[in-house]
Amino acid sequence: MKDPKQSGLDRREFLAASSAAFVLGFWLPPRAAAQTAPQHGASWYTEPAHPEINAWIVVEPDDTVIVRIAQTELGQGVWTSNAMMVCEELQCDWSKVRPIYASANRDAREMAPQWTLAVPGAGATDPNGGGEPTFGNRARTGGFGIPDSLYRRMRTNAASSVKDGRYYLQLAGAEARERLMLAAANSWGVDVHELTARDSVITHSPSGRTTTYGKVAQLAAQTPHPNPEAIAIKPPEQWTLMGTEQKNLDIAMKVTGETKYAIDVRVPGMKWAAVKSCPVYGGDVKRFDAAAIRSKPGVLGAMQFPIPDPKLTRGRVFSGGVAVIADSWYQAKSALDSLSIEWTVPPERAAFSTASMRAALENALDEPGRVRVNQGDVDAAFARASRLVEATYYTPYLPRARMEPGNATVLVTDDRVDIWIGDQSPQETRFSAAQITGIPEENVYLHMCHLGGGFGRNGNGPQAEQAIMIANAHRGTPIHLLWTREEDFIGTTYRAMGMARLKAALDADGWPLALEVRTGMQQDGFGPDASFDIASRYHVPSYRFSNHTTDFHVPVGTRRGVGQAAHEFYRESFIDELAHAAGKDPYLYRRELIARTELPFKADMIKALDMAAEMSGWGTPLPAGTARAIALEERGVETGGSATISAMVHTVSVSRDGRVKLMRVDVAHESGFGLVNPLSVKKQIEGQITWFYNDAMHQACNIEGGAIVENNFDRFSLSRIDEDPPIINIQFFPTAHWLVGMGHDRGTSVQAAIADAIFQITGKRFRELPLRQHDLRWG
Amino acid sequence: MALELNVNGTTHSVDADPVTPLLWVIRDSLGLTGTKFSCGIAQCGACTLHVDGQPVRSCSFPVSLAVGKKITTIEGVSSDGNHPIQRAWKDLDAPQCGYCQSGMIMSALALLTKNPQPTDADIDAAVTNACRCSTYHRVRQAIHLAARLMQTDSQSRA
Repeated sequence: MKDPKQSGLDRREFLAASSAAFVLGFWLPPRAAAQTAPQHGASWYTEPAHPEINAWIVVEPDDTVIVRIAQTELGQGVWTSNAMMVCEELQCDWSKVRPIYASANRDAREMAPQWTLAVPGAGATDPNGGGEPTFGNRARTGGFGIPDSLYRRMRTNAASSVKDGRYYLQLAGAEARERLMLAAANSWGVDVHELTARDSVITHSPSGRTTTYGKVAQLAAQTPHPNPEAIAIKPPEQWTLMGTEQKNLDIAMKVTGETKYAIDVRVPGMKWAAVKSCPVYGGDVKRFDAAAIRSKPGVLGAMQFPIPDPKLTRGRVFSGGVAVIADSWYQAKSALDSLSIEWTVPPERAAFSTASMRAALENALDEPGRVRVNQGDVDAAFARASRLVEATYYTPYLPRARMEPGNATVLVTDDRVDIWIGDQSPQETRFSAAQITGIPEENVYLHMCHLGGGFGRNGNGPQAEQAIMIANAHRGTPIHLLWTREEDFIGTTYRAMGMARLKAALDADGWPLALEVRTGMQQDGFGPDASFDIASRYHVPSYRFSNHTTDFHVPVGTRRGVGQAAHEFYRESFIDELAHAAGKDPYLYRRELIARTELPFKADMIKALDMAAEMSGWGTPLPAGTARAIALEERGVETGGSATISAMVHTVSVSRDGRVKLMRVDVAHESGFGLVNPLSVKKQIEGQITWFYNDAMHQACNIEGGAIVENNFDRFSLSRIDEDPPIINIQFFPTAHWLVGMGHDRGTSVQAAIADAIFQITGKRFRELPLRQHDLRWG
Repeated sequence: MALELNVNGTTHSVDADPVTPLLWVIRDSLGLTGTKFSCGIAQCGACTLHVDGQPVRSCSFPVSLAVGKKITTIEGVSSDGNHPIQRAWKDLDAPQCGYCQSGMIMSALALLTKNPQPTDADIDAAVTNACRCSTYHRVRQAIHLAARLMQTDSQSRA
C-alpha cells in the first residue's frame, strides 16, 4: 500500500488523467473517513452489535428488530412493505421494527442461502405459493447483479420489489421465527411444537412460560435450522400484517428534515465537485481555460473527465465534461459558471433536432418494420371494410426530473472504494466502481441513501461513474459530486420519443375487423412491445403489430411507465376514436371488445371497467364543458402469469378559454391475491395519476442542435397542487393471481382520457402530447 | 466576509460572500441539511424557509438580505417533530420520497400562520411547491388537518 499521504493526490496521475487540468494542493484526510458512523437520520448499513439471525434480520436484546432492505426507498414505500413481508412471518412486535439498508458489499462476497432459491408453489395463479418472480438475465455485467448473490435482485425497478422479493422475504422471516422458537425450546428442554410466537413473545402453553425474541436471539443466531427447505410461507388468508394499511416507517424523519439523502452526506475531508458535460450527447471537451478560475475562492482544482464507458451505462453514450473541485459546492459551481469550455461535438449528433427526429420516425413508420404479431389477414380485411379509421400519435422525450439532482460521494483509496449514494441499482454501481478503479467489487462499499425521487433513474445515468472517475483521480479525498438541475437534464436517461400509427377496418356495425399497429421509437428504446405484443387487448379477427426503429443519440432508459405509458395513450385513444366512429359508448365498446377476446384475465378487465364506470356515475348528466372518459390499464394480461389490471374514469372540464381541469378520478384496481400495504398502493396511484397527467398536459423535452432544450423547471413544467384532482376514489377488487406490481404504470389512462374529454367537449381531437401546446378553446 | 445570522433562534457567525444564496450557507456553513436544493432558480420551492415569517426560496436569496432577520428552517419548526403541521403530515402519511416536503411544510406553515383556516383556493395560491411524487392530494388534506390541530392546540392553551 502506498503512503496514505501520497494517496490524496498524485500529481502525475492527476495530470495524466486530465491533460488540460491544473492542480492545487489538496488537504489530505485520514483514510478512516470511510468508516464514519452513520449520521443521525441516515439509514445506511451498519455492522450489527448483536449477531444476526439471517442476512435480513438482527434481533437486539430489547426486542428491536432490524430488517435489512435490499431495495431502495424512493417514495414508493419499499422500506415499509419489505419489512412487512419479513415481519408477517417473523411475528414480531411491529412497533419495534427498524429497517436499514442491506450491504451491497456483502452481496458481492456472499451467495444467497440455498433455501431462498427455490420459489414455492405453482406460479402466478397459486395463492399458496411465492408468485412468479422474474430475475431476468443476471449476468455480472448485465445490470442484475451476480447470479444468486446474497440479496439477489437489489435493483429497484419495474414495480417488482414485491413481486420478486416476497417469497424469499417471507421465507427469511419464517426461518428466523422458527430458529428463535427452536432456541427457546432447546433452552427450556421442551418440544418446539408446544410453543407459539406472537409480537416477539414466545409462549410455552403447557407451562405458561414466556420469553422474548430479544432474550433468545443470541442463541438462535447459533442454532441452525434443521431443514430450511421445508419452511413454508403463509398464504394470504393467514396474513395479519400484510394486507393492512401501514404508514411508512420512515415518515417521522421526513417531516423534520432529518432524512439523510445522498445530497446531505458529509464525511470528514470531503470536497465538492460541480461538473459541466457537453450538452450534446457524445460530445467531449476540446479545451478549457483552467487558469481563469485558479484564484477563485475555495477552488482546489479542475479536471476533464471522459465520456463514461458505455459498458458501464447500459450502452448509453453520455458526454465528456469538466469538473471543478472546491471546498463548497457553491464555490465549485460559481467557478465552473465562469469557465469557458470549448467542446468537440460529432457533427452528426449536433444535427439532431426534434423536427428531424420526428420526420425520421414518421418515415420509419412507412417502412415494413419488424413484425411482432400477424394474426388473420389484415390486408384482406382492410380491402373489404366498410370503413377505415387511421390515426398517428406522438409522444415526446421525457426525463424523470426527480427532485433531488444527481449526486454521489466517493472515496477511493488504494484498496477500497466507498460510495454514498441514492441508487436504484447498487450492484451495477459496484461493478462500475471496480471497472473504473481496478479495485475488486469485494472491496467496494455502498452506503445507500434514500432517493429524493427515483422514477427509474440511476441504473443508467452516469452520476456514479462521473463521481468515481473524479474521486479516482483524487485518491484519499472524498469527493461529493452534485449536478445542477441543468446538468441533471443532461445526465438523466429519457423515455424515448415515440410515434404510432394505428389503422382499423370497421364492419357495418362499427366493430373492428382488423387492426394494424405500428409503433416507432429509437432502436434502443425501452418497451417497444408493451401493450401490443402477443395479442390485441381488444378483439379483432385480424391483427398485425410491428416495431419501426431508427437510430437517435439521446440516451434512453427505464422512465416510470417505460414504453407502456406511451403505448397505452396510443391504444386507448384509438379505441375511443373507433367508438366515436362507430357511434358507440366508449365504455361499452371496450367491454364488448374485451369480452370477445380469449385473453386469460378478460373477466378481470371487464370487472375493472364495470366498477370504474359505476363508481363514476357513468352516463349520468354532467354540466356543459365537462366530460367523462374511461380507459383500461393492464400489464401482463396476454400471458396468463402475473398481471396488473385497473381501469379509471376521468372526469374532465375544459373552459371556453381552453383551461383543462381534471376534476375527479374513479379507480377500480385489482388486488390480486393480496396487496402488501394497501395504503402505499393508494399513495402510488394518487401520485401516478398526476405523473401521467403531467405527461398528458405539460411535459416535453425537445432537441435542438443535438441538445436538450427544456433543462430546468422554468421551461420544463411540473404541475402544482392547484391542478391536483380534488376527488380520487380508489376501490380494490380481488382477483385470482399475483400482481406484477403497481409502482410505475398505473394512471396511464389519464392521457387518453383527457384527450378524449377534450374531443367530447371541443370537437377537436389531439394526438400529440403534451396537450397544452394545442388550442383547446371552444364555443 | 463575516455575517451574523439568526437561525432557529440561535445567532451564528458565518464567513460567506454576501451574494451567496442563503440555501448554501444554511446547508454547508451551518450544516442544516433539511432545506433542499433542486432547481436553483426559485421555481420548485424545495429550498423554502422563512425569513421574518415570510416564505423565501433560499436558492435565489442572497445571504446578505437575511442579516438581522429571523430565519426559520424545517429544523426550527419544532424540537420534537410534533408541531401540529408535522403531526398532520404524519397522520396522513403525506410524504413519499420526502425530498420536497421540508419546503412544502414551510410554505404551508407560512400560510397557516397568517390564515389559520385556509380554503382550497388559498392553498392553491400559497403552496406552489413542486412535488414529483405528487403528494399533493395528501398535502392538501394535511394542511386542512393541521389547521384543525393548530386550532385545538391554541384552544387547549387558552
